[in-house]
Amino acid sequence: MSFLPTLASALSSPPLAKESSTRLVFQMALRDVSVLFRTPWIIITRSLAFVIQLFVFAYLISRLINVPGLNFFQYYAVGSVVATIASISFVIGYDIFEEAEEGVLDYLLTLPISRRQFIIGRALGGALRAIIYIIPMFLVVAVIEGFAQPLSILSALLSLFLLAFGVTGMSITVAVSVKSANRFDVVLALLELAVSRASTALYPIAFMPLYVSVFAPFSPVSFAADSARASLVGFTLDLPAIVGLVAFVVVFLGLGAAFYFRRLEGGIYS
Amino acid sequence: MITFDNAGKRFGNLDAVKDFSITIKDGEILGLLGPNGAGKTTLMLMMGTVYRPTSGTISVNGYDVVKHPNEVRKLIGIAFQDPRVDGILSAFDVLNWHLKMTTMFDKVERRRRVEDVLKSLDLWEARKKRTWLMSGGMKKKVEDAKILVQRPSIAVFDEPTAFLDVPSRLLVWKMIRQLRDEGSTVIVATNMMDEAERLSERVAIVNKGRLVASETPEQLKGTVKGGEVLELTLNDGSEFKPDLLREFPEIHDVKQQDNKIMVFLNSGTLLLPKIVDTLSSQGFKIESVRLKEVSLEDVFLTYTGQRLE
Repeated sequence: MSFLPTLASALSSPPLAKESSTRLVFQMALRDVSVLFRTPWIIITRSLAFVIQLFVFAYLISRLINVPGLNFFQYYAVGSVVATIASISFVIGYDIFEEAEEGVLDYLLTLPISRRQFIIGRALGGALRAIIYIIPMFLVVAVIEGFAQPLSILSALLSLFLLAFGVTGMSITVAVSVKSANRFDVVLALLELAVSRASTALYPIAFMPLYVSVFAPFSPVSFAADSARASLVGFTLDLPAIVGLVAFVVVFLGLGAAFYFRRLEGGIYS
Repeated sequence: MITFDNAGKRFGNLDAVKDFSITIKDGEILGLLGPNGAGKTTLMLMMGTVYRPTSGTISVNGYDVVKHPNEVRKLIGIAFQDPRVDGILSAFDVLNWHLKMTTMFDKVERRRRVEDVLKSLDLWEARKKRTWLMSGGMKKKVEDAKILVQRPSIAVFDEPTAFLDVPSRLLVWKMIRQLRDEGSTVIVATNMMDEAERLSERVAIVNKGRLVASETPEQLKGTVKGGEVLELTLNDGSEFKPDLLREFPEIHDVKQQDNKIMVFLNSGTLLLPKIVDTLSSQGFKIESVRLKEVSLEDVFLTYTGQRLE
């Protein structure tokens, strides 16, 4: 048998201390990110689907409609990046639900990381994963639309990141609130449809039917789409939209954490 | 030192663990022996701060698991009964990430530890294979390897050799003993008698969420009166009444499971012909007879009234 590491050498390493908290949150987030890189074909196929949607659907529609002052292709291109990041951010909920069913969550909860850091790590991981996922799509849009202002791009990415962070919180909230797998799938799919379709991501509010236009301004996807367009096209900051996004993040991360703790303490995953 | 003081965990109307009290000394290997559903895993998850006890207290090296969960988590490593690994990650990545989360080792030290343990477990060649593509035995070894690379102060193994072949079982036992020799306190939950007997310095018998007995294997065997066990298999045990054999003063207890009769007695060799005569005179046909010393299995049967399958 080969040499085995000894406890003495294990104990000679510095123990986990308070200053390592950030490192643990980051490691927890990287775990979610690394899973994405293990399945690069998902990024490639979804990017291809995005390109086809853009160059077939958006191109075709933009030639069918003619609204003065509206470049629909550009509108749709930016919006579909936003809708895509919202969609991919929901995936973390599926991951957590699956982990709970398979017992991996029990393992994760024995690791030396506080529950609060655990939640932040997972939400951060989900958001980082979503950002990495849409970067190829964002680059395609930036190249064809000529978005080259670094500050505008950074500001748009910030909006996207906030949206992703909040949606992961929302997704975690649903994952720990719904017990049945079927119900979970339906609830998450409906929620995703509601926040993405009833938003200004893919079509302007002026063309929406009344029953959608009433809700659309309050969708977090609208906040992100509006602020991303303001940054990239108008070179301005849409502060109300950013404030809305921050509020969305705070509310749903808080809710996610609260539901998570309640479920865990109740031993729901037994 | 780990102390369970009247610890309990209730899920709805079910008491998974009730009034459980035990003290586990530093550096010992404690075997938690009990059938599936006895509450062993719940006990470990309470100690590992995954479940909050609904009654009583649990402290690990002086830290209460409810009041100081983060301190407790730094001391414990748990290898689960069913492998809890990300199927999409390779064995190497699973262990490397586990070390990143549980230690402050640098990349070189992490790699050295992972390599050592994977080589010892004959998994090095398969280190890049995604764990969902591995056999049950390989996955189980990866699960055990998490704790073997971490080498925590308190190492908990839930059925560490389930799914493993005999050479692998012996190897894992050896590696667990090494862990204890280096100073770790080890808790092994098992429903395998030989594992509990050969690995543990002390065995705690758990049944229906309660601690039934806790001693060294030899002491536990000593608590069974008689010192010998006569196992009789009858052709048809449906009419058998234990009182039939209790008339002999050398017989201390008689237990029956279907057609199998367990007689706890002294002077088994001398008494055997009399027992056979008694049963035959009552019309029972004896298919087999086996006289043996008391085993842990007999202890379990005595304390719980059931066998571990």
